[in-house]
Amino acid sequence: MSVPGAPDWSILDIDPLQQTVTDADAYVRTLMQWHFGTETGSPFWLRRRADLDFDPLTDVKTVEDLAQFPNVVDEFRDIAAEDLVPRGLGDSPKIAAVFESGGTTGRPKRFVMFEDWFTRYLAWAGRKAASGLGGSGINLLATTPSGPHMIGEVTVRQSHALGGKRFTIDIDPRWVKKLIERGQTDELRAYVDHLVDQTADILVTQDVGMIQTIPILLTKIAERPELVDLVRSKVKRIAWGGAHMDPDTRAILREEVFPGIPIVGGYGSTTILSVAVERKEEQPSGLATFDPFSPYVFFRVVDPDTGRPVAHGERGQIVMNHITKFAFIPNNLERDTAIRVPAEDGHIGDAVADVAPVKSFDGTNVTEGVY
Amino acid sequence: MSTTDGAPLSAHVDAITDAGEYLARSSKPLRLPDGREIGAISEVPRLYVTRAFARLAHAPVLPYATRLEMLAKAADLFENAVLEGQSIDDYLDLVGLCAGVPRAVAQASIAAIARTLRALPDTLAQEIPRGAVTSLDDPRVREGAAYWARQGRTLAVLASGNTPGVHGLWPSALALGYAVAVRPSSREPFTPQRLVRAFREAGFTSHVALLPTDHEVADVLVEQADRALVYGGQSVVDKYAADPAVLTQGPGRSKTVITDDVDWRAHLDTVAASVAGLGGVACTCTTAVLVEGDRARAEEFGAALAERLAESEAGEHRTELPLVTARQLAQYVERVGQGTTAHGRTDIVETVAPDTAVLHPVVRVAADAKAPVLGVELPFPCVWIAPFSRADGIAPLVGSLVVAAITEDMEFAQRLLDEPGIANVYVGAHTTTWMKAGVPHDGYLSEHLMRTKGVIR
Repeated sequence: MSVPGAPDWSILDIDPLQQTVTDADAYVRTLMQWHFGTETGSPFWLRRRADLDFDPLTDVKTVEDLAQFPNVVDEFRDIAAEDLVPRGLGDSPKIAAVFESGGTTGRPKRFVMFEDWFTRYLAWAGRKAASGLGGSGINLLATTPSGPHMIGEVTVRQSHALGGKRFTIDIDPRWVKKLIERGQTDELRAYVDHLVDQTADILVTQDVGMIQTIPILLTKIAERPELVDLVRSKVKRIAWGGAHMDPDTRAILREEVFPGIPIVGGYGSTTILSVAVERKEEQPSGLATFDPFSPYVFFRVVDPDTGRPVAHGERGQIVMNHITKFAFIPNNLERDTAIRVPAEDGHIGDAVADVAPVKSFDGTNVTEGVY
Repeated sequence: MSTTDGAPLSAHVDAITDAGEYLARSSKPLRLPDGREIGAISEVPRLYVTRAFARLAHAPVLPYATRLEMLAKAADLFENAVLEGQSIDDYLDLVGLCAGVPRAVAQASIAAIARTLRALPDTLAQEIPRGAVTSLDDPRVREGAAYWARQGRTLAVLASGNTPGVHGLWPSALALGYAVAVRPSSREPFTPQRLVRAFREAGFTSHVALLPTDHEVADVLVEQADRALVYGGQSVVDKYAADPAVLTQGPGRSKTVITDDVDWRAHLDTVAASVAGLGGVACTCTTAVLVEGDRARAEEFGAALAERLAESEAGEHRTELPLVTARQLAQYVERVGQGTTAHGRTDIVETVAPDTAVLHPVVRVAADAKAPVLGVELPFPCVWIAPFSRADGIAPLVGSLVVAAITEDMEFAQRLLDEPGIANVYVGAHTTTWMKAGVPHDGYLSEHLMRTKGVIR
């Protein structure tokens, strides 16, 4: 998007190889020009700028300086999707979808997924979590939310990359949360069993090479010996996300139930329009450790009381940042806690390990549910 | 922090199954009543529990006689052996400190559990229906007989931690041929840990498991087991009320009733022991005393009982509690006790060490026997007294684990025995805490675990 006489925006182009941004502070400065320039910014941020007690164009020079921004995601419950489109993307940038957060802590928030970002982020994720199965033609079984939730569309792309067919079972995570809030544990159990039964039917009748699902489904599959046998004989890779998987369940699944089958987690959020990918190398801690697509997405792990970073190896609450030309969503204090782990060399922010839900969030009880 | 012999005190409680001990990656700290951390207790997830149950359900059923021999052997191991490096002294130190009870009290509880295990051949001989056999080889089967059959393969126990004594009950399920999984209380997980180790060592290698979990996963044990035994408060009793597979052990609301045909003055020691025995924490401790006569008589009795409790208190052990808990309990007494007359000490919280307190006995008199406060059961010596009349019926005594009836009126005693809402009736000068091996505590556990089947061969 280069116009003669205009600033050089090329540093803002997304590089799946993570090589073009060598100076993250310079990237941030250009990004401020983009989001707060009247020609390029979104109606939301151009309007919101007036309420800031600093000037992003002059006061934000480094990644650290982004900490001055307030957390605005609560406003994403009400704003029109059109207002989130940066003008600099042109008159009709290709939009893959409008996704919504799960509604874990109140009404859902909406985010615009641009095709350009989606494709490049998926290229990065495919490279980071390389399965060796791309183009192999294996079929994907996805028992995940669809509709407003990002993961459903991700599995469409996943399946294209694999080159096989996609079998799907739908999950309604918001209904699950309602059941939990109402204490209808029998209904909840019946719903989860319903998901397992539908998943089982596909496992039995179809040639499934990869499974993408949520942790409780893997636990429930592991509890049915006939399904364990089917997975062991057919499935080459298991991917999970959407909810917390405790480290003991992870270890039992990997070591005892499905030995030899890679079980790979993703830690995503609609608020970062992406999923952080589990590190391939087993960590000394034995905990699942996730890296986001830096510098476009980065995490900080902080003490929720002071907002300061916790020490490496300590647990804190996760602050998420999405800082691309497609969206600017800084300083979002997430519902989850995690252990702070150093980012990979050359990347900003933190990696996170052993992600777990916090008990109470902003006065609203957190109902994690299945997604 | 050190034990009596100066060794450092530290505690670890992990899951135990046929596969051995499992140190979970998730755990929570174990704390003394004063808040000091002495170690950690593992918290295993759902999948660990369901896999353990899948194996428990397939544990081989050993012959009845073998099971009883193994239980007697386990009693010796439990009382004397070094188990996974833990001596009996280490264990008593831990239990005493965590439960806030002196070593002698812990030791007495432990001896009682061991006695119960050794007595199982006799107690089960009393529990089994007279017409029932336990083996197909029994000659009575030739004529046709009842066979004493299990109603399931597995029992889940969600234990409480207020006294080691709660662990005297579930081992009889092992004698009956069940496989048992216990979720320990994080307040005092050491007794079930030591018992499970002793049972495994004695030969129950695949029949018993210790599954420490968080509260959410505790439900998984109940869901997975064929039968469950669940300790807890009224909310727990209500939660499982509709589930016939779950036997709850809730508040005892045990009561003593004194009719006007006896002189209460002769029974003050008995009532005081019912109130304050076992630290006042057991479900068999007297929560309310109904004194036949008018309010003045009840007040007179209350004053005398308060005096007697104060006298005996000096020599009695008192359970140590976190100071915060003690203050909360004292405030709670004030709130629910509005409109009652207090006898004895009114400042009941006494700080005995930093952040640690004991509670002095509470004696309060309510206006009548219908007062809801009579059902308020608290984990220290706390008793509510009310006037009562046999002529008004036994409704105020319904909903009690134990009624100690200090009376000469056997017709009245019979009415109590005939009332389904009373589990035990002790007639005469007995404490509500009286017990004896072979005498049921809340029915025999076997009533929940077993049934008879017709058999002939």
